[in-house]
Amino acid sequence: MATVEVPYQETVPLHHPKTWIGKYIFSQDHKIIAVQYGITAMAVGLVALILSEFMRLQIAFPEAGFMAFFTADHYYQAITMHGMIMVIYLLTAFLLGAFGNFCVPLMCGARDMVFPFVNMLSYWVYLLSVIILMISYFVPGGPTGAGWTLYPPQTITQGTPGVDWGIATMLISLAVFIVAFTMGGLNYITTILQARTRGLTLMRMPLTVWGIFIATFLGLIAFPALFVSAVMMLLDKFLKTSFFMPAIVSLGSKLEYSGGQPLLFQHLFWFFGHPEVYIVALPAFGVISDLISVHARKNIFGYRMMVWAIVAIGALSLIVWAHHMYVAGMHPSFGFFFATTTLIIAVPTALKVYNWILTLWRANIRITVPMLFALAFVLTFIVGGITGLFLGNVIIDIPLSDTYFVVAHFHMVMGVSPILAIFGGIYHWYPKLTGRMLNDTIGRIHFYFTFIGTYAIYFPMHYLGFIGVPRRYYETGISEFYPVAAHNLNKFITIAALIVGVSQILFIFNLVHSYFKGKKAPANPWGANSLEWCTPETPPRHGNWEDRLPTVHRWAYDFGVPGEEKDHIPQTVPRRKAS
Amino acid sequence: MATEGQQHPIKIYFLIWLLLFVLSFFSYLVDFYHLEGNLRWFLIVVFMLLKAGFIVAIFMHMKWERFALIFGILTPPLALVVLMFLMAIESDYAWSTRVVYMGEDPAPKPESPSHYKKSEEEKGH
Amino acid sequence: MTDTTLSTQESIFTSTARDWSSDMTTFKGVPWGKAMMWIFLLSDTFIFTCFLVGYMVMRMTVTEAWPVASEVFALTVWGVSVPLLLIAIMTFILITSSGTMAMAVNMGYQRRKWAVFWLMLATALLGASFVGMQCYEWSKLIIDEGIRPWGYAPDHDLGAPQFGSIFFMVTGFHGLHVSVGVIYLITVAIRVVRGKYDHTNFEIVEITGLYWHFVDLVWVFIFAFFYLW
Ligand code: HEM
Ligand SMILES: [Cu+2]
Repeated sequence: MATVEVPYQETVPLHHPKTWIGKYIFSQDHKIIAVQYGITAMAVGLVALILSEFMRLQIAFPEAGFMAFFTADHYYQAITMHGMIMVIYLLTAFLLGAFGNFCVPLMCGARDMVFPFVNMLSYWVYLLSVIILMISYFVPGGPTGAGWTLYPPQTITQGTPGVDWGIATMLISLAVFIVAFTMGGLNYITTILQARTRGLTLMRMPLTVWGIFIATFLGLIAFPALFVSAVMMLLDKFLKTSFFMPAIVSLGSKLEYSGGQPLLFQHLFWFFGHPEVYIVALPAFGVISDLISVHARKNIFGYRMMVWAIVAIGALSLIVWAHHMYVAGMHPSFGFFFATTTLIIAVPTALKVYNWILTLWRANIRITVPMLFALAFVLTFIVGGITGLFLGNVIIDIPLSDTYFVVAHFHMVMGVSPILAIFGGIYHWYPKLTGRMLNDTIGRIHFYFTFIGTYAIYFPMHYLGFIGVPRRYYETGISEFYPVAAHNLNKFITIAALIVGVSQILFIFNLVHSYFKGKKAPANPWGANSLEWCTPETPPRHGNWEDRLPTVHRWAYDFGVPGEEKDHIPQTVPRRKAS
Repeated sequence: MATEGQQHPIKIYFLIWLLLFVLSFFSYLVDFYHLEGNLRWFLIVVFMLLKAGFIVAIFMHMKWERFALIFGILTPPLALVVLMFLMAIESDYAWSTRVVYMGEDPAPKPESPSHYKKSEEEKGH
Repeated sequence: MTDTTLSTQESIFTSTARDWSSDMTTFKGVPWGKAMMWIFLLSDTFIFTCFLVGYMVMRMTVTEAWPVASEVFALTVWGVSVPLLLIAIMTFILITSSGTMAMAVNMGYQRRKWAVFWLMLATALLGASFVGMQCYEWSKLIIDEGIRPWGYAPDHDLGAPQFGSIFFMVTGFHGLHVSVGVIYLITVAIRVVRGKYDHTNFEIVEITGLYWHFVDLVWVFIFAFFYLW
């Protein structure tokens, strides 16, 4: 008996909320949830940005009177909160919570996520985790100052700021975040696998969806390691178990711990931590691929290669974790294994970079604001990726470990690059989300400040690293070890950081201003092909589509097809019969 | 959506049920007869994996799922196998450094719990 | 439009390639909830395995003696120490509950709602008694044997303090899963007889079953690694 498969969402009625609160606050609409995620993530991101400015001021002007209030404890707390917020509560939440929620159902031709209620819960639990994190600034002792890696034993021994309450709020907040992420992530994956529309095969999905898909999957299997290490650390702290704590003498007395293995924490943490890097990188890769292809009016070069590269990176990222531990004193032959896998992972990554460049090759490039961000992404990603190759080798990493070279590397590759992808994505999708265009001139000014500014911040840091300036130092002081040039460079970096920080006001102003006063956006301002640009209304209504879901006939990259009169063919246009 | 569901003869559930009891009983016997060393853990692991396999294959219907699902669910845990092996190597190394550098006793004998000592004593009398 | 008639002659490679390259659904004929449950269980597998890897690392790195499980967990019955008696009973109960759950799933697809209800309730009761016995076991360990999460009570030193820590943590986390499962089972059982799922194929029973069997599955590993090894 042959049954014809129909998209399940066509057969079930969508439940529309009637009250204002149901529509905009406790909304189950994926677009609203995306906005909620986005705003919350940007708000905490702003906190992290301000913390980083304080740190920079301290590094550059340690003697200045206005930094007198900023003690060493404050510095370590700022480092920890800055790092953790940026990586988890801003980037992960934004790329998967906001872009994931917005893009997945629209690009898959679905009405919504498969379980909208769980999806809504995901946001509220995420908000809870953010609140718990922020509470740590108000508990006795303040937030933990252990560094975002939270390495024991120092994290839970006296002397580290926030050793009693701060670490508890941090770990609990992380555990709650993981619950939130799991609820959202299960939704994204199930939607992508089980709720695509007619004709949409996996190999016709836009690369954004592929990036989000693999990143979410990585999240679902990497966050458990963080969860487990958080639980064990909490037990070590409050029940005095000795999972991570060896026998230790602190402040002159022997602690009650004995026989724990601190390296176990590091292994578990990085078993999560490295995939986490790709959790933020892969959606960024996807977004950038789409931006480049759309704004260069050319099909993405090597689509299949791009997909398999994402899959390969995802798989490999699970077996490279100990490249963060070369100086930790682990088994001596691990260095060889992990250096090898790390260098192998560079192959699919480089492949993606080549493909972006080959997409741009002889393309009809339109220098729009999203395109500017996309191009900048490729540049910063190449810099960060190449320094990554250096650090992946044991012998090069050992002298560079814990210097500013590392700080420069990871800010380039997982700090600036995904942020640029987020900006690019916002400039690209804002018209669809709100029905208004963002202001182009402000956008351009914002771009140049951000891009040139961040380059000015992070590029010089490589040199600081070469001359041995250590990471996570409250002040370096005048010593023979640091040449005067290093101090001058630090002042330069700080000024650049301040300019970058302030210029983000332009962006926020643009978002708010354009929402009310921006130019009305046409349904498809960039001439893109993927499904979100084919919705019957802009902004799309609850349920996205009419009674019948769209039918997909082709991939999302038909730009400038020879013999066609239009320069782009949306995914919903049937293929012509071969004549 | 076409959902035929997972309908199978009840007989097979009873069979697996029984089998699980038997396997648990066997692994219990391993302990009861105080088998030691490689034989002990070989048997424990074999019985464990058999039981796990039956639960996943029959009770969780994995056997009757399409291979697309089986493949999607069973490949990712390979990462865990890597983690497990590497951690085993790492722990062995950490242990040996402790023994070598800190002069710890490499094969200490555990104390018996009090109730056990008591019943052993009673047996002795 | 895809024709989903599934030919049985296809090799698994062809069928897998076809499913993964088809439109609309990748797992053909699998309801959303079931797909989601499977992926959740995959994620949960990572949690439990990380815990177990932690256990392995603890046990392999400590230089103090590791207590002999079969002595610690022995139960003294009429003056004779029987190794692992309580654990054997708990295992027996959990396997039994897995059996009743499997039957409930079967009844669900036959749309026999009351049978489903009673079987799920039996499963939940068995699960609850499992948790009860675990409480008993814990209290015995804590009170009689002096085993504490952070080590040992005075005069009870059995060796490595990690023994108790990891044991309470992992069995506790498993017990939490069983308790959540009991609540989940009861909720679904009640909703089934209330007719909330009448318009469906009762796949919810199978989904609940997946979770329950998974909890049983984890116990298989805990049983082998903590009690027998
Ligand atoms: C204008 C933007 C930013 C500035 C000025 C900045 C500045 C800094 C500074 C001064 C440190 C401390 C370095 C040290 O003393 O060792 C730091 C650490 C760090 N930053 Fe940023 N940062 C920025 C953006 C980001 C972004 C977007 C990310 C996202 C991944 C990020 C992730 C981190 C991490 C993970 C650490 C390490 C924290 C630790 O050592 O525990 N930063 N940043
Ligand atoms: Cu890494």
